[in-house]
Amino acid sequence: MRRLVILLLLYAVMRGVFALASESAGAPTLMLFGFLILAAYSVGELAAGIGLPKIVGYMAAGIIFGPSALGYVSRPALVELTPVSNLAIALIAFLAGAELQWKEIRERGSAIVKMMSAELVLSFVAVAGTLALLRGQLPLLAQAPAAEVFAFSILFAAVAVVHSPAATIALLSESKANGPVARYTLGVVLVMDVAVVLIFTGVLAAARALVPPSGGGGGVQVGAVVWEIGGAVLVGGALGAAVSLYLRFISRELIIFALLIALLGAELARVLHVETLLTLLVAGFVTENAGGGRGETFRHAMERAAAPIFVVFFALSGARIDPLAVLPLWTIVVPVVLVRILAIWGGIQIGGRWAKVDPAVRNNAWYGLVSQAGVAFGLAAVVADVYPARGESLRALLLATIAVNQTLGPILFRLGLQRAGEIVPEQRSDTT
Amino acid sequence: MTTPLLLILVAAMAFLATHVAYEWLAKRLLIVSGAEYLVLGVLLGPQVTGLFSPAALDAFQPLVILSIGWMGITTGMPLRLSQMVRIPAVTYRLALVESLVTIALVGAGATSAFAYGFQLDQAAALVPAIALGAIAVASTPAGLDVAFGGRRRSIPVLQQIEVAHGMDGLMGVLAFGGLIAYLHDATPLLVRALTTTEWIVVTLGIGTLGGTLFHLFLGNEESPDRLVIALGGAVILASGAAAYLDLSPALATFVMGVILANSLRRPGPVTEVLRSGERPLYYVLLVMAGVSWRPESNIVWWLVIGHYLILRTLAKLWGTGIVTWLNRAQERVGLDWGRALIGQGRLTIALALDYSRRDLPYGEVVFTCAAVSVLFTEFFAARFVRSAAEPLMLPIEQLTATTEAVAGSVTETMTHAIPGFLRGDRDDRHAPDEDEAPVQAERAADELPEAPPSTRSSEDR
Repeated sequence: MRRLVILLLLYAVMRGVFALASESAGAPTLMLFGFLILAAYSVGELAAGIGLPKIVGYMAAGIIFGPSALGYVSRPALVELTPVSNLAIALIAFLAGAELQWKEIRERGSAIVKMMSAELVLSFVAVAGTLALLRGQLPLLAQAPAAEVFAFSILFAAVAVVHSPAATIALLSESKANGPVARYTLGVVLVMDVAVVLIFTGVLAAARALVPPSGGGGGVQVGAVVWEIGGAVLVGGALGAAVSLYLRFISRELIIFALLIALLGAELARVLHVETLLTLLVAGFVTENAGGGRGETFRHAMERAAAPIFVVFFALSGARIDPLAVLPLWTIVVPVVLVRILAIWGGIQIGGRWAKVDPAVRNNAWYGLVSQAGVAFGLAAVVADVYPARGESLRALLLATIAVNQTLGPILFRLGLQRAGEIVPEQRSDTT
Repeated sequence: MTTPLLLILVAAMAFLATHVAYEWLAKRLLIVSGAEYLVLGVLLGPQVTGLFSPAALDAFQPLVILSIGWMGITTGMPLRLSQMVRIPAVTYRLALVESLVTIALVGAGATSAFAYGFQLDQAAALVPAIALGAIAVASTPAGLDVAFGGRRRSIPVLQQIEVAHGMDGLMGVLAFGGLIAYLHDATPLLVRALTTTEWIVVTLGIGTLGGTLFHLFLGNEESPDRLVIALGGAVILASGAAAYLDLSPALATFVMGVILANSLRRPGPVTEVLRSGERPLYYVLLVMAGVSWRPESNIVWWLVIGHYLILRTLAKLWGTGIVTWLNRAQERVGLDWGRALIGQGRLTIALALDYSRRDLPYGEVVFTCAAVSVLFTEFFAARFVRSAAEPLMLPIEQLTATTEAVAGSVTETMTHAIPGFLRGDRDDRHAPDEDEAPVQAERAADELPEAPPSTRSSEDR
């Protein structure tokens, strides 16, 4: 009831403020940021009350208050709030890296790589095949020659195989799950996140060779990719070392320091043209493993600092979803989503048997691999950049697919953790 | 180097400085650092190196507004009624008159300075003059914190200085918020044009709603995560809404701060969260203020600025002296306690930056007055406080030492005569609530700083 009162009050405040605003009023970026923190968090708690993950509630708030429904968060406001999403991605990557411990990598690394490889190959082939088969439903590919169908199918599949580290980390933080299913799922998601940079680059180069883009923009060079990955490791390592030194010698005001480090890492990655996620991931890993035992304290401080940022990040992700745009494409989106889920399940089964992991992991880890979010959005935008005319309709299809996976993913992941018994009842109840 | 990266590095440096340089300087040299960031901002800005472009400054407006809002709420949080009622009425009387004298004197002086210097009519000169009056009244509490920390606040002169800081903040924020509401000339899209009073009510309403939302959101749960989300969300929403409506973010969040201070059972954790962000945000605000500073070599400018500095100093020194003498309170607080109010700091910069970013008349002159005042006075704020308070504290300390010696001797005698005398006394005490605890702790620190060795040994036994 209290949540509903908060939402009603927020609704009234926003109505009142927008009614009092003049024509010359500037962008309400800061106000919307504060509004989304409170509104999305309240909707998240309402969602938790009916047994759904909070991040589904945050995204629902984004849809409700976004441009598709009430329109408080307009499309220009979404652009204005992009730095918040970038900061959230940086925090997520750092936290993901900080979750990895050297001992765990030695123990589980090989099994994770095997599971990821099987799942990646199967998902990629299955999704690309499905799109090629359904090409008649898509005006873009209906009359296209075989080479073009192949090129766009593999491009689509390269984006469709991506997972969501953001949703995984957020749900693990929310549920406090830390069992084998949670650890293996996180491992696969993170390794895939690194692998996908290489895969997407290779696929994009192949597609460009088969179907040259008009104007020839969006070229990718091998040297640049090597620097993007190698440089990220170097920059991330240096940043992690700096954080470790701070923790050893100063170790104060960790919440503000955590935000500064995430901002600094993201901006350094942008300026030096290295992979942002990998940079922060490595920085988090180095901090956790070389922080002289203080890495965990720093991780908790960062989780606290990240809490409002995550709420807004997922709300903004929701605001980008246009439910009406998904409907016309349902004849392709539904089969693609189902095939992808089936392929993920099959890939984890095969990879799990190959790696000889516990059957509980094999049977439940796939649930956590359905989510898609920020990285997939970014890659879809790259496709649209390289192929400005045809890529746009491919992007619309990708966004529709991502929207479904984004909504379905956290619900399935929570279900998987419950089935594995990694969410204990009292921890579940505190989310309600 | 890109602007965001530069800003992050500046913020990181400011952050480190907060905890390394600030504390070191404060403890060793009794210096309140901060003003140097204003100089750093000038060096980075278009006036010198040009690393920050005017366009980049616009991109950081949300951060500037949040910082202004943060300064507003931190000014409102100390106004806790349950603690304020324990302070004698004369203390408030002195503080109120001092504030009004400063606003009136600086406002009137600035009106004539603007009118004469820039050849304006009195009405046109009134707006920047009132803004200067509102900015002039603000004084920084950092000097008191550095000079005496949280101790000995029950000593009359320190109590007077503390109350005066609170009153200065209240009057400055109110006057400035009122002026901004008065100058609001944009017509709303969906309703009729509002009057000044209605805009003031809207500003106060935003703060009240911010406080209400915070309470509703937090509920009975007091986990730190939830506190950060509730406080962050409410402050950002209130500052953002006020700025979006072209009102004063500082006044909206000030009201929110007063509401939180008086409605929370335990405001300590909220104050703690606010304090952790205060200095870094102040430094960022100073850097941005320095970057956006566009001084001119026009001699009239500098005459107005000199006029402001002199009038403000006179108002603080003589205003307090005269009002204290008229109230016959010189034995209690002395005639020189106004010295402790000369230092200007975070609220001054926040209000001045808020004025200049709106393109109001003579924004650059008003801002320069504030910046120069902070530059010259903040460094020595702690020394000003000490010079104002120490002469009055010496006799009290001597008296306290004598009292302590007598009390120690009596306690020792009683302990020998009646075994368990001290233990019994301690058992009878009840656990203080949060309001009483600091007062009792202060009293303990002020009145009985250290028990005599003989007493301690008897307690141990």
